[in-house]
Order: sequence, then structure tokens, then C-alpha cells
Amino acid sequence: MADLKHNKGRGRKILGWLALLFILLGLYFGLVQAPPDAYQGNVQRIMYLHIPSILTAYFSFFIVFVGSCLYLWKREKRDDILAHAAAEIGVLFTGLTIVEGSIWGKPAWGVWWTWDARLTLTAILFLIFVGYLMLRSLIEDENRGAVCGAVLGIVGFLDIPLIHMSVYWWRTLHQPPSILRPDKLPWENIHPSMLLALSINFVAFLLLYFYFLSLRIRVGEMEEEVKRFKLYGGQ
Amino acid sequence: MGPWGFVFLAYGIVWVSLLLYLSVLWRRLRKAEAELSGLRSLRGSRIEDRW
Repeated sequence: MADLKHNKGRGRKILGWLALLFILLGLYFGLVQAPPDAYQGNVQRIMYLHIPSILTAYFSFFIVFVGSCLYLWKREKRDDILAHAAAEIGVLFTGLTIVEGSIWGKPAWGVWWTWDARLTLTAILFLIFVGYLMLRSLIEDENRGAVCGAVLGIVGFLDIPLIHMSVYWWRTLHQPPSILRPDKLPWENIHPSMLLALSINFVAFLLLYFYFLSLRIRVGEMEEEVKRFKLYGGQ
Repeated sequence: MGPWGFVFLAYGIVWVSLLLYLSVLWRRLRKAEAELSGLRSLRGSRIEDRW
């Protein structure tokens, strides 16, 4: 048991250092190595944060969806801890995506915010999961809170396909996907050095995400253990 | 604000927020560890008292 904990701690450390390495590489490739965009100039460099952070948020809410389904099916506390941890980190990355998008929107579109379908649905996604976190902290009965959270986590995830398809279904200011298009391969749509910078930043965000998730799960497990100790004296 | 101003504003907000969240996680982890070890040592001393 002690060995397992030690190995987990060492794995987490390696993950943290790897994330830091890729973050530094991502900053170099995004801010220095990649050329400025032909139309938008240097402001397009925000893309190297914007796309990785929203994809990380989507992935995080997928983990919430899986953890919530597993919890409703098996009622195991570890699945609830996983879903709760992923929801918290997903809210962080969604919030950052909205802020980055707003900062990018001002020079590109002339406005900080517009009630465009994709932007509005992303704001709704953010609010759903802020609601999830509030629900978890407000319901005192832990099992009831976990069940309500799991239901909201599953419903909230269903907003993601709507966000993705919104640019096809409605006329929006937000452009449709320019890299992952159904009619072309990714490297046919973007300069290779831009694609490299984007890929490195995406890997950096994913590594950082898994580092955060492992830390947040550990926090959840320890808080659970403290509660158990207080209730049953560590039995 | 020029294009680089927007870029640095976005990068600054993102990386400062992520660092802040990391420090919050570390603090919560340390707090939970300290509380748990306190409870464990309390339990150990009670068992010793009983014997």
C-alpha cells in the first residue's frame, strides 16, 4: 500500500515536470517560432491557448460524464470523486476559454462579447458546471448531492455536441472549424509550423490537465478519509 | 492596445490563473494531509491509553 502511494506520488511528479517542459516549449513555439497569421497578424497567437483550453475542457466534461454514469450505476465513491474533480477543472478551462476568446474577439471582431450561438452555448456550459459545483457544496446529504451532481453532470455534457455543431446549424460570427474539417486533412489547412505549435500546446494542456486531475483526486480522497475518520474513528 | 498587448494579456491571464489554481490545490492537499495525520495520531494515543 505504501509502495503504491509512493509510486503514485512519483508518477505525479514526473507528470508535473513533463507538463512544465511542454508548457515552456509551447510558449516558445507559440510566441516565437510560429509565423504571424497572414490576415490577423500576431493576435492570432491566442489560438495556441484558445483551442487547447476548450478541447481540454471538453475532455474534462467527458470524464465528468463517464464518472457520473459509473457512479449512478455502481454507487462507488471513487467515481463520484473523479467526476467532482473533473468538473472543477473543466470549469477552470472553460472560464479561461471564454476570457481568451473575448480578448481575441476585440481585435478580430471589434467586440469583447456577442450573443453568437457558439459563445452563448459555451457560456451556458460554464454556468451549468458552476451550478454543479454549487449544488455539490450546498446539499448537505452527501449521497443525495452525489446523485444530483451525477444527473447534472450527464445533462451538462450534452451541451458539448450542441456547441460543436452550432457553427453549422446557425449563422454565427464564430468561424467553423478551420483545422479539423471533414473535407481536408489538418496539415492541408494550416502552415506546418503553426500546426506544430498548436500540437505542442495541446499536449502541454493535456499533461497539465492530468497533473491537476491527479492532485484534485488525491485531495478528494483525503478529504473523504478525514470525514470517515471523524464519523467512524478510521474504522 | 496593439496586437502583442492582446496576446500578452491573454497569455498572462491564463498562466496566472493556472498557477493560482495549482497553489490552491497544493494548499488543500497540505491541509488535508495535516488534518488526517492529526486524527491518526489522536486515535493512536487513545488506543495506547486503553491498554
